[in-house]
Amino acid sequence: MKIFKNTVIVILCLLLIPVTAISTAAVKQRFADGPNFVFSGGPLEAGELYAGSEPDWSFVNDIPTIEMQLLEPPTSRIIWTVEHNSKLYVWSGYMGTTVGQIWKQWPLQAEEDGRALIRINGIRYERQLNRIQSGPELDGITQAITAKYPSRTTSEAVESGDVWLFEATSRD
Amino acid sequence: MKKFYVGVAIALLLTILAVLFVPGVDDFVEQTFQRYLGRAAR
Repeated sequence: MKIFKNTVIVILCLLLIPVTAISTAAVKQRFADGPNFVFSGGPLEAGELYAGSEPDWSFVNDIPTIEMQLLEPPTSRIIWTVEHNSKLYVWSGYMGTTVGQIWKQWPLQAEEDGRALIRINGIRYERQLNRIQSGPELDGITQAITAKYPSRTTSEAVESGDVWLFEATSRD
Repeated sequence: MKKFYVGVAIALLLTILAVLFVPGVDDFVEQTFQRYLGRAAR
């Protein structure tokens, strides 16, 4: 019985090392200017703040990911994006899974307060995230998503709430 | 077991210091975690 108990203790102690490494990396990233890979980063501080007319967002179709920060809470993450009909879209998948519901908090926060800051190629853009759950444009947006990424996002997934889709509009 | 606990404590301290201050360790930890998270989400 003692051997069993000691074995469990040894396994738990050894598991503590990667857990500590992950926790430390996550905390460290919160103090950084922006996200890194998967952990949320701090506020996006570096980079010129864009001022001017609405950009031609088609250039984002050549960019794999962008950095996005909500104003409340001021944390940032790396996300996929796509342009469709000159409009900018971001989304969050896995919202119907347990891991997604635990891990993906930003869509819930964005629905409450959609003010966001995105950074693309070192330039920051002030945006307002507006959730889209239905509409005729869904097919075109999801086709743009699947054309750009290895994603199985469909209009039905958006309508069912498995994918939360947001249009990043101007804040003016 | 006492030596084992001391060893684990030292290992935890070294892990924290390495992630905080050794260049590239935080990236390695994050990328490894991302791989496992991706599998879990599927």
